[in-house]
Amino acid sequence: MSTPDESSVRDLAAAYALGALSPEETRAFETYLATSPEARQEVAELRETAALLALSAPNAEPAPGLRARVLEAVSQSKLRPLSPSPTAPPPPVGATRRASPILWAALAASLLAAVGLGLRAGRLADELARRRADLAERDSTIAEQARTLAAQGQRLATTDSTLASLLSPGVQLVQLTANGDPDPQIQLFWDRRHNTAVLHASKLRPVPAGRTYQLWFIKDGKPVPSVTFDVAPAGEALVPQVTVPSEGAISAAAVTEEPAGGSPQPTTPVLLVGTLARS
Amino acid sequence: MPNPGPVSSAPADRDLIAQAAGGDERAIGQLYDRYATVLYTVAYRISGQRADAEEVVIESFAQAWRDAARFEPGRGSVAGWLTMIARSRALDLVRARSRRERITQTAAADLLDAPLAMGTWRGDPADALDRTERRRQVRAALDDLSPPQRQAIELAFFEGLSQSEIAARLNEPLGTVKTRVRLGMQKLRSALRPFFFEQGP
Repeated sequence: MSTPDESSVRDLAAAYALGALSPEETRAFETYLATSPEARQEVAELRETAALLALSAPNAEPAPGLRARVLEAVSQSKLRPLSPSPTAPPPPVGATRRASPILWAALAASLLAAVGLGLRAGRLADELARRRADLAERDSTIAEQARTLAAQGQRLATTDSTLASLLSPGVQLVQLTANGDPDPQIQLFWDRRHNTAVLHASKLRPVPAGRTYQLWFIKDGKPVPSVTFDVAPAGEALVPQVTVPSEGAISAAAVTEEPAGGSPQPTTPVLLVGTLARS
Repeated sequence: MPNPGPVSSAPADRDLIAQAAGGDERAIGQLYDRYATVLYTVAYRISGQRADAEEVVIESFAQAWRDAARFEPGRGSVAGWLTMIARSRALDLVRARSRRERITQTAAADLLDAPLAMGTWRGDPADALDRTERRRQVRAALDDLSPPQRQAIELAFFEGLSQSEIAARLNEPLGTVKTRVRLGMQKLRSALRPFFFEQGP
């Protein structure tokens, strides 16, 4: 931006008095103003003119109580230094111990300073309401995170017990496979001492809605219904707690597809099977 | 140095500011009696809300009290100084409000504010007469401007718009707006010089 010549700078006086210049123009004009007493006189007159514009607004009378509020504000701010001084006088010794009027007055003065910053009670209330809404939102977020965390804790505990099951002595691995299809696999970690098992399935085809997979133990040549389970879209499933019949001769474990909820007897051909040998 | 407004026995505005600078709170009370209506009127015109206008008046006198020692007589009258303080505080407040986009709340508050406060005037009756005459003159001088000149000046004074913002608002060239502001203000100055709050030194 080129430096405006003097006549164009002089033309800025009216807009300057109205506060209608851009920041760049204001700087240029004030530089000029510092050098010209005539310009200062002109600005003084134009500012007087501008101030009179206030009288063109519809007349509005302040409420009667406002005078007292103004004087109260002035009276309170008397504690502040009238002219800026680098250091405020220290509070009198012992003033704090008695919760003295001076302390309260200083508190009032600081409240008044807040007023001076242009924060009136209504806007503070707005702000407070906004903060409360924020806080409520955060509270609900935290509650949700707590629930997630509890769920994760639950999962972790399950994983721990699953891992403990897998690592306990006497656990035998039983593989269930499909006839002629190498992909779908089920591993049954059979804890023979506790008659429990952990079932892990991989690459099983997801079943249609209303259908489920069901595990069977073949005991004394007959299928005994066990857990039902569904697989994730990737074909994975983990059933950490499967109860294995404790009595009788169990020869195999098998999986079929059944209606949701499971069946007392298999209704479809066996999909995967593996032999168990109680030794 | 005559102060044309109040009766001759009353202290001049500048004397009151000097007393305030010396720590006399009563001086602010006297200035309030003289100019509270002017300050409240401009604050209400700008903010459109009674509570905001009252806050502006309180803040303006509190600022005058704090800054009394820094008042420079060469820069204009006490009344003009007070008025411009109130104007810029009111504009600050409105800007802060619009920044936070409290439009709905403002509308609701306006409904509550609907009846204008008509307090009792406790100032000097001579002041009131003086103010009425001055007000009449200001309105007449504004009526004498061309409507575009008046509009540009009012947008600057009451809405705090810069000349560029006025040009954008009105979709007019910036140069045109600058000319309107300059010529309009010069014309107002000539018409209103006899009615300034205080005559120059």
